[in-house]
Amino acid sequence: MAISSPTDPPGEGGDADEAGTDPPDDADPATPDEDSIAAASGREWWRRYLREHTAHALVVAAFALYPFLYALLAASPLGTEVETLLPRVETMVAVFYFGLFAMSFDFVSGYTGYLSFGHAIFYGTGAYFVVLAANGQIPLLAPGTPFMLLLLLAGLLAVVIALAIGALSFRLSGVYFAMITLGFAQVAYVFVRGWDYVSENPRDGAAVSTEVHPGGFDVGVPGVDALNLAIGRLTGDSVELLFVELGGTEVSYYMVGLVVLVCYLAMQRLIHSPFGTVLLAIRENEERAEAVGYDPFRFKLAAFAISGFFAAIAGGLFAGFRRSVAPDNSMYFLVTGDALLASIIGGFGTLAGPLYGRLFDETVREFLSKRGSGGGLLPYLREHLPASVIEADLVGGLTVGGAIETFLNGHASLYIGVIFVLFVLYVPNGLLGTVRDRLGGTVAKQLPEYLDRYRRD
Amino acid sequence: MTGAVLTPLIVDALGEFFRLGTLSEVFVNGLSKAALYAMIASGLTLVFGLLGVLNFAHGSFTMLGAYLGGLVMVVLVGSATGDLARVLFFLVGTLFVFAAIGALGGAVEVGLIRQLYDRPPIYQILLTFGLALVLDEAARIVVSFYGIQPITDWRAALGTKPAFMVENLSVAGLSVSPLALFQIVFGTVTIGAVWLFLTRTRYGMVVRAGSEDDEMTAALGIDVNRVFTTVFALGSAIAGVAGMLLMWDPVWGASLPLAHETLLPAFVVVIVGGLGTFRGTVVAAGLVGMVDATMTWWFQNAITFTGLPEMMIFLVLVLTLIVRPQGLFGVEEVGGH
Amino acid sequence: MSLLELDGVETYYGESHILEGVDLEVEEGEVVALMGRNGVGKTTTLRSILQLTPPREGSIRYRGEELVGKETHEVADAGVGWIPEDRRMFSQLTVEENVRIAVPKGSDVQAGLDLAWDAFPDLEEIRDRDAGDLSGGQQQMLAIARGLVGENDLLLVDEPSEGLAPLIVEAVHDALEAVAGETTILLVEQNLPMALDLADRFYVLDHGVVVDSGDADEVSTDSERLRRHLSA
Repeated sequence: MAISSPTDPPGEGGDADEAGTDPPDDADPATPDEDSIAAASGREWWRRYLREHTAHALVVAAFALYPFLYALLAASPLGTEVETLLPRVETMVAVFYFGLFAMSFDFVSGYTGYLSFGHAIFYGTGAYFVVLAANGQIPLLAPGTPFMLLLLLAGLLAVVIALAIGALSFRLSGVYFAMITLGFAQVAYVFVRGWDYVSENPRDGAAVSTEVHPGGFDVGVPGVDALNLAIGRLTGDSVELLFVELGGTEVSYYMVGLVVLVCYLAMQRLIHSPFGTVLLAIRENEERAEAVGYDPFRFKLAAFAISGFFAAIAGGLFAGFRRSVAPDNSMYFLVTGDALLASIIGGFGTLAGPLYGRLFDETVREFLSKRGSGGGLLPYLREHLPASVIEADLVGGLTVGGAIETFLNGHASLYIGVIFVLFVLYVPNGLLGTVRDRLGGTVAKQLPEYLDRYRRD
Repeated sequence: MTGAVLTPLIVDALGEFFRLGTLSEVFVNGLSKAALYAMIASGLTLVFGLLGVLNFAHGSFTMLGAYLGGLVMVVLVGSATGDLARVLFFLVGTLFVFAAIGALGGAVEVGLIRQLYDRPPIYQILLTFGLALVLDEAARIVVSFYGIQPITDWRAALGTKPAFMVENLSVAGLSVSPLALFQIVFGTVTIGAVWLFLTRTRYGMVVRAGSEDDEMTAALGIDVNRVFTTVFALGSAIAGVAGMLLMWDPVWGASLPLAHETLLPAFVVVIVGGLGTFRGTVVAAGLVGMVDATMTWWFQNAITFTGLPEMMIFLVLVLTLIVRPQGLFGVEEVGGH
Repeated sequence: MSLLELDGVETYYGESHILEGVDLEVEEGEVVALMGRNGVGKTTTLRSILQLTPPREGSIRYRGEELVGKETHEVADAGVGWIPEDRRMFSQLTVEENVRIAVPKGSDVQAGLDLAWDAFPDLEEIRDRDAGDLSGGQQQMLAIARGLVGENDLLLVDEPSEGLAPLIVEAVHDALEAVAGETTILLVEQNLPMALDLADRFYVLDHGVVVDSGDADEVSTDSERLRRHLSA
C-alpha cells in the first residue's frame, strides 16, 4: 500500500482507479427551479420557504407531538409494549443535545472529508464552561449569567480553540489530520481530568453547585422572564398546556429541542449556501477547488470553527440539563466515537442523519438497558413470560432469564457495534443517505414533488 | 501552586533528578516501558504499512491477549507452583496467545476487511472501529459472566507472577525491578524476532516490498491478498502477546479499559516513528518510553499533576505532527501511481 | 493464435472513459511499439492487461486465455512482466533484494541472480545498495533486470527512456534489444527513434482507440503519418 504523504489532499493519492464509493454527495443545493425563479420577486418567499421545508415541518411536528403520543400510548392497553420499545422523553433530550454534537461533527467531517477525531474537545469545552460558570468559577461571569449567554460564550470559546487547533492541523490531511486533532483533544482530556480547579475530584468531573446555582438553566430570551423556561429533570419549570401538565423533563425536551432546531437550521442554511458548495468541492477534489481560485485552508478552518461552535452549544445543553460533567462523558475520544457511530448509521454528509443515528443508538440502548427503567427487554419479558420459561434451563445451568441477563441487558454496545459494522459493509450511506439515494435528492427537495404526484392524479 | 513555591521545588527536583541513582532507575524504567510500547505498537505499524489500515481494534486484540494469557496462567499456576515453572508456563502461554489472537486476526481480515479493499481507506478504519466496539463488549460479557471485575485489573492473573518479580531488588545500590528486566528481555526478543523475519526471510522481504508498493508486488506474481491476511494475523498476534506481558504488570493489568489504554499510545508511537516503518516504531517506542518514565518520576517527586506522563506523550504526538508529520523515519512520498 | 490479443477494451479511471475500445495484437517474438500523445491511454492499456485497472468491457486474451477477471498476480504468474513508468523500485530494499523478489516462485533464486548479474555486471557491483539510492539510469537497468529474471514471455515496458540522459538512453536501448531477443515486448515509448528502432510493428493510440498501425520500417520519425497523431 502506498502510504500517502501527510499533506496529500483527501480524495487524491492515486485512488483514481478505485471504484470508490465516496460519502454521499449532497444533492446540488443551488440549482434554482422554476418556482423559485417565479417567486424571486419576493412576494411569495414564504410560500417557497414552506414548500422547501415541508419535510422539515413534518419532522418538527412529529418531534413536537412525541411526548403527548408517548403519554397517550403509555396509558393505553399497549402501555407496557410502548414503554419497552419507545425511548422515554428524558432519553429524547439526550438524543437532541448529543444529536446536535453529532450533526456538528458531520458538518465538518462529512462535508469536507476531514475526520475530526478530537471533536469531543469542543463538546467538553461547552459542558465544562457552563458548569464552571454556574459555580462562579469563570472570572468576570456571575453565577446568574443567563444560560443563553453562556452557550454563546462557550461557542465563541470553542471557535477560538478551533481556529488555534485548525491552523496547526489543516496543513495535514487524512489519518494525520485525524491523529493530530485526537492528540489535542486527549491533551485537553488529561488536563481537565487532573485540574483541581474544576472540583475536588477532577477525575470524576464537576457538578453544578446547588448552593450557588440552585435554579434550572433558562432557555429563552435572556432578561425577559416571561419568555424563559428552565431545563433540568428536577430543576425544570413545569408548564400547564391546555389540560396537560408538562413536567421539568418535558419542558426540557421542548426547550433543548428548540435550541437544537435553531442550530440545525443555521447549519443547514450554511450548507445550502455558496459556502457549503465550496466545502463539497473541497471534499471531491481539493486541488481542483484550489485551482479554480478558492483557498481551501480558509474554508476548512471556517467549517471547523463553525462545527466547534455548535458542538460547544451541544455540550452546554448537556451540562445544562444534567447539571454535571465528567471528563469521560465529555472530553474522551470515545465521545467522538459515539458521534462517528451516529453519523455512519444516520448518514455521513447529510447533516440531519446523525440525529437519527443517535436516536437509533439511544433507542436500542434503552431497550437493552440493564436498569430497565423506561422499559426494557428484561422487565418486559419478566412481566409477560411465565416464570417457568424464565427459569427454564438453556445450557448447563444457564436459565433463559440468565441468558437474557448475560447477553442482552446492558450490552447494547455489542449489538450496536455489530449493526455499525454491517452498515459500514452494506449500508455505507447510512439511513438518511440511503433514503436520499432512493429519492434522488434531499428529502426536503423531493417531498413536495413526491406529494405533487399524488395530488395531480 | 504559585510561582514562588514552584521554583525552589523545581530546582530541588532537578538536583534530585540528575543524580546517577535516579537517572539509572529512570533509564531502566524507560527501557522497560519502551519494550512494552514497542510490543503494543509494532503490530499496528506492520498492518498500516502493508494494508494502509489504521486498525482501531488493535487495542482490543491486546486486551483479549491479556485476558487469554491471564486465563492460561490462572489455570496452570497453583499456589505451590515454583517461580521457574511460572516463567515456563508464561512462555508456553505466549505461544498459545500468539496462535489464538493471530487466528482471530486472520479471520477478521478475510471475513471483514477484505470486503472493503475497493473502497477508500476510511471505510477500513471505520470497520475496525466498529469491530473494537464489538470485541470490547463481547469481552465485557464474558468477563462479567465469570464474575471478574471488568474495569479493575484481574487480581488472580496478577497473582500468577513469580515471587521474585513482585518486589524490587537492590543491585549496586539501585532499586531494580525484575519485572522490568523481564519485560526488556521479552520485548527485545520479540521485536528482534520480527526484525529478523522482516529482513532475513523471503516472506519478510515480500512484506517490506508490499508495504512500499503493493501494485508492483502483485505485478511480480505475488498474491498480495494472502500476504495482507498473514500480516494482519501477525500484527494481531503480536498485540495479543503484548497484552499477556501487560497482564503481569501492576501498572497495566488485564482489564477492559486496557483496550484503549494501549490503543492511544500505540497511535502515538506509530505516528512519531513514521507510519508503516518498523524501524521508526522501535525508535519511537524508545523515545516515548523514556518520556513516560521521566515524566512519571517528575510526577512522583515534584509536579503533582496526575496524568503528567500521559499528557506529555500526547504532546509529543502533537509536536511531531506539527514539526515533522511523516515521523522520524517516515517517507514523504511513497509509490508513484 | 497471437500471444496477446486485445478486443474492444474499454477502461475507466473513476468516471473518466480512458480506453474506448482498444484492439491490438502482439505476436510471439515481436517488439510492438504503442505510441501516442500524453494522456491518450497508453499506460492505462498496460495496466488493463495486468488487471491493475481492470477493463469494464472487452476482452484480453493471453495465449488464448482470458485475462479479464483475473487477479494481477495471476496475470504475472502466467508470464506477463511489467517494467513500469517511474521504474517503481522498492527503494527500501537492496538492489539484490529487488532482483530476488522478481524470481518466480519455485525457480532457483541463485540462477536468477546469476542471470541478472551476467546481463548487468554494473548492478552486481552495487548489489547491497538500497535501491532508493540509485541513479535514474541504474534504476532503469534494475527494472529491466527484474523483467528478465521473472521468466516472462511478454514484457510490458512503459517509457523506459523517460527522464534519462541521452547516453543512458543508449544503454537502455541496448539492454532492451538484448532482452527482445528472448522475449516479446509491448513497448510504450515517447522517444520515437528508439521506439521505431526496436520495434517490428507499431500502433498509434488517440482518444482511447487505435487510430493507426503498421510495420516499423514503413515510417520514419519525421513522417507526416505519425506527426498527425503525435504532435500536440
